[in-house]
Amino acid sequence: MIVDVNAHLGPFAFRRLRHQSAESLLGLMDSRGIDVAFVSSAAAITHRNTQPANEDLADEARPHPDRLVPFAVINPSYAGWEDDLSACVDLGFRGLRLYPNWHAYELTSGPCLDLVDRATERRMILSLPIRVEDPRQQSWLVDVPDVPLDRVAALVAARPGARFHLVNGRGYVGSPLGRKDGGLPDNYRIDLARLDVLLRDEVETLLDSLGPDRLLFGTGIPFQYPDPTLAKIDVLDPPPEVRERILSRNAMEWLDGP
Amino acid sequence: MNSDATPDPISRRDFLRGAAASAALGAAAPPRPARAITPLPGEIPVIDCHAHLHHHSRDGWQADDLALIEVADRLGIDRLCCSMLTPRRPASAEGFRECNRWVAEAMARHDGRVLGYCYVNPGHPQEAIDEIRRCVEDHGFIGVKLYNEHRCTDPVVFPVVEAAIDLRVPILHHAGHGHHPYPGQPNISDGGDLAELSRRYPEAMLICAHVCGGGDWEWTIKALRHAPGVRLDLSGSVTDDGVVEYAADLLGVDRLLFGCDMSMTAGVGRIRGADLDDEAKAKILGGNMLELLGRRPS
Repeated sequence: MIVDVNAHLGPFAFRRLRHQSAESLLGLMDSRGIDVAFVSSAAAITHRNTQPANEDLADEARPHPDRLVPFAVINPSYAGWEDDLSACVDLGFRGLRLYPNWHAYELTSGPCLDLVDRATERRMILSLPIRVEDPRQQSWLVDVPDVPLDRVAALVAARPGARFHLVNGRGYVGSPLGRKDGGLPDNYRIDLARLDVLLRDEVETLLDSLGPDRLLFGTGIPFQYPDPTLAKIDVLDPPPEVRERILSRNAMEWLDGP
Repeated sequence: MNSDATPDPISRRDFLRGAAASAALGAAAPPRPARAITPLPGEIPVIDCHAHLHHHSRDGWQADDLALIEVADRLGIDRLCCSMLTPRRPASAEGFRECNRWVAEAMARHDGRVLGYCYVNPGHPQEAIDEIRRCVEDHGFIGVKLYNEHRCTDPVVFPVVEAAIDLRVPILHHAGHGHHPYPGQPNISDGGDLAELSRRYPEAMLICAHVCGGGDWEWTIKALRHAPGVRLDLSGSVTDDGVVEYAADLLGVDRLLFGCDMSMTAGVGRIRGADLDDEAKAKILGGNMLELLGRRPS
């Protein structure tokens, strides 16, 4: 079983996505053996009011409850986010995706911490994309830097009871997030989408330092081809227990867990 | 929450050992065999058109170079077209000569596995031309590597292009097009510059480097559409869906070259993932580069 924790539905403001509908995304997943995807709205990344995009996503995902796990995009600095969170819980959302640099708030600001607390009370996973697009190719309209890993570290330290998925990031080895002695709680897991294997040994080093229960299979579909992440698993060729953890169990145990 | 006990650390060495053990036991996921350096008759080799060797001032350069070969083995890459850049640029003539000498040593050490690009700074005109001729004619280098010391439309670059035409070798040119400034790269060339250079020198074999690490790839592909003398190197760390198919649609598969630029699983993964038939993928993975390399008189 393969669970992709880093997937999206819907249009993106700056580039056509070929597999933005549920039907097309499922076809892509089928062709690569991906059973389940944690999906959020790509449109909501640039919308001011994200809630209509969350509702569109819920409509798309609803017919496929065994394949598509919906995550909401909520901006805690925008009016009415508490109502949006409640509505998303009612709609069956299992997690949130946070875009602090796109939505102009600090991860450790009061409103963000409030959102994390309320989501945690509702047993939701907090998914934190470190980047959406490579900064070198961003539109002339935007200049959105990656989320600094030290701010991510500050957030996970501030909220040890929350459960974080860190996706589309790299450079963890040089951060407390990637170190055994980093002084952080074990409340975060890291996806493979942008991590390097073999040549720079980033995945191998994280396995050494954090252990096999801290890595997740994530591709970034449909922004990105799923195949590079699959190739990482292929060339690493981990022992079956580790393979199963990365491909599915680490993702599912937080989704199903207490 | 994660409540499991801390597991035993798993090192890269353990992974490799595990793979070997799995194979010995006949497990479901055997390791991939290393590909032969010389392809089987009729088989097209997989050629990474854009790779780098490590400068010898870097600690551990030998291990890093060996790791490159090892990863290529595991990903089924037969040949690596490598250059070595000076750590500080603009490169001095002494600096690029030193790099090329080390590349030549690596070519001999890895016996056909490593193919060399001769790196020069066109700002040292005579030294650059002499170096290109020496590397290609005496040491079997397969092409020229230009970086960002000068925009490719700067006339100082023209003698280098003419030398490459004369020697019938390609030029792999660093490139990028962003909508925000490239820090520290005021003279970076983009696809439009390479298209302009190709109009001036239609017989030149130009390769626009790393479209998947060079900013707005849609812009680059569109800029190269009407410049048939420019091939597109698909390398880079960006794994955006659809880039290979878009390039194939606008440029044709004959102009596309497989490359990694040290992002190995990204390079391989995007070709695996592209919605193209096997014949097209074989051209991209090696056939097109082989054709370019075959233009040089033996």
